[in-house]
Amino acid sequence: MKLTELFAKGTFVFTGEVGPVKGCCRTNGGPPPDFVREAVAIKDYVHAVNVADNQSALMRLGSLAASVLLKQAGVEPIFQLTCRDRNRIALQSDLMSACTLGIDNVLCLTGDHIRLGDHASAKPVFDVDSVQLLKIARGLNEGRDMMGNPLTQPTDLALGAVVNPGFEPLDLQLIKMEKKVAQGAQFFQTQAVFDPIIFESFIKKAERFGVPVMYGLLIVKSPEMAHYINRNISGITVPTWLVRELESVPPEGRKDKALEITLRLAREMAPMVQGIHFMPLGWSDLIPPVVQELRGKGVPGAGGGAG
Amino acid sequence: MIGTIKKPLEEVLAALAPYRKVALVGCDGCAKVCRTGGVDEVAEMARTLEEHGKEVVFQAAPERTCNVAKSDPVLQPLTDKIEEADALLVLGCGGAVQITRHLTETYGLIKPIKVGCNSVGHLDTLVPGAVALEECSDCGECLLNDTGGICPVTRCAKSLLNGPCGGAEAGKCEVDHTRDCAWILIYERLKALGETDKLKRFLEPKDFSKMAKPRTLYIKEGRVAS
Repeated sequence: MKLTELFAKGTFVFTGEVGPVKGCCRTNGGPPPDFVREAVAIKDYVHAVNVADNQSALMRLGSLAASVLLKQAGVEPIFQLTCRDRNRIALQSDLMSACTLGIDNVLCLTGDHIRLGDHASAKPVFDVDSVQLLKIARGLNEGRDMMGNPLTQPTDLALGAVVNPGFEPLDLQLIKMEKKVAQGAQFFQTQAVFDPIIFESFIKKAERFGVPVMYGLLIVKSPEMAHYINRNISGITVPTWLVRELESVPPEGRKDKALEITLRLAREMAPMVQGIHFMPLGWSDLIPPVVQELRGKGVPGAGGGAG
Repeated sequence: MIGTIKKPLEEVLAALAPYRKVALVGCDGCAKVCRTGGVDEVAEMARTLEEHGKEVVFQAAPERTCNVAKSDPVLQPLTDKIEEADALLVLGCGGAVQITRHLTETYGLIKPIKVGCNSVGHLDTLVPGAVALEECSDCGECLLNDTGGICPVTRCAKSLLNGPCGGAEAGKCEVDHTRDCAWILIYERLKALGETDKLKRFLEPKDFSKMAKPRTLYIKEGRVAS
């Protein structure tokens, strides 16, 4: 199901995220790969699950193949598509392939730079940017390629985009967000942000675009992971208060602490947005209690069934 | 200018291994600025090659080796010496190497032309003798009128045309934290000029056919073909 249909009904949308493995996933009748099992485990609590596209420029199983595996397992995938590795021909072809294979949702991204990944000597593509990709995808939905050639059948994809509320200067990020809306973005997932004041000031400015925004909630598992993210993951800053809270408990208590922090952030941010996008980094089992809590607290629209 | 750095000496000596008599051609233009192939560097290379048992049949450093108008008057009178050489070593950009090859062919000579430098881009000298920066990608459709005189195609690691990615932190690029995010520079510049409205304009994908290689410039007609 397209996320846009859920937003149109006023549903408070929950999404999760998995990263495909580095390896082929032909199961030959065996058990599904771990990332599929992780997605299946939360499918009754989220409406859809993002499938990362060679995340952090680390070469992995393709996001389209992985999205199809999720779909076959009964999980609604959000196919992440980056401009990093594909020129405009490949992007359009993959969008049509995705729709052909039953994908309903696509997240249009620029992509982390190749220099940050495990194939640093590869040729970066970046033929188009994420704003242009949205326009191209909208054109395919309308039955034409970016050169204006008619398609035998249009695509039918809900088009998502990302925005970083923690970006400074924020106005520059909002200008880009507005351009994404103008070119076809139908919903947004935000980059991870932990400060409600920063998030609120962003939301107040972004509301005027009239497009659903999902709060990006990263589950930080340990102080070490926080330090790693701050050193190595671009665009995310884990604040000192969060690190201190994780440090305040012994390692065996960190999962409970992470749940407590996640719940608190979800409660604070939920009233400002139309959904929450969880980035659980493997701790997807923390998603169900958070979703149950929000539904129990009567977050607008969160009471509806998912899955 | 075309930026160059010196190839490791071992690589140069390996390329010249089959040859004893070597002619040295530098470039007293860009390679002089980069301190890789001006008159001084050519003389230094001549001494080095002699120390390694080579005979240097001549040294030359045309003002612009990539321009036949400058290199032909220097090399043509040396035709006999070129003929005597087993190989030529060019200390300049890949263009200097290939113009040297082209000229030797026009002199009726088939000589191995070897290169002593790696070309590293169309660069602009920011600090003389110290720093040159890549600021232009020769894309064939200049955007600088609308980007505050700062090129996103070149200065943004992802060549984004419609604003920054989400990866910049503290104004620095996600690829290199010592480098400014080009889009934040563009934003600040346009803000200072009172032209931030320009940022709201959607830019269509670039026409990369204008960058298709190899390009030929027909100077009289002001026309580029590829």
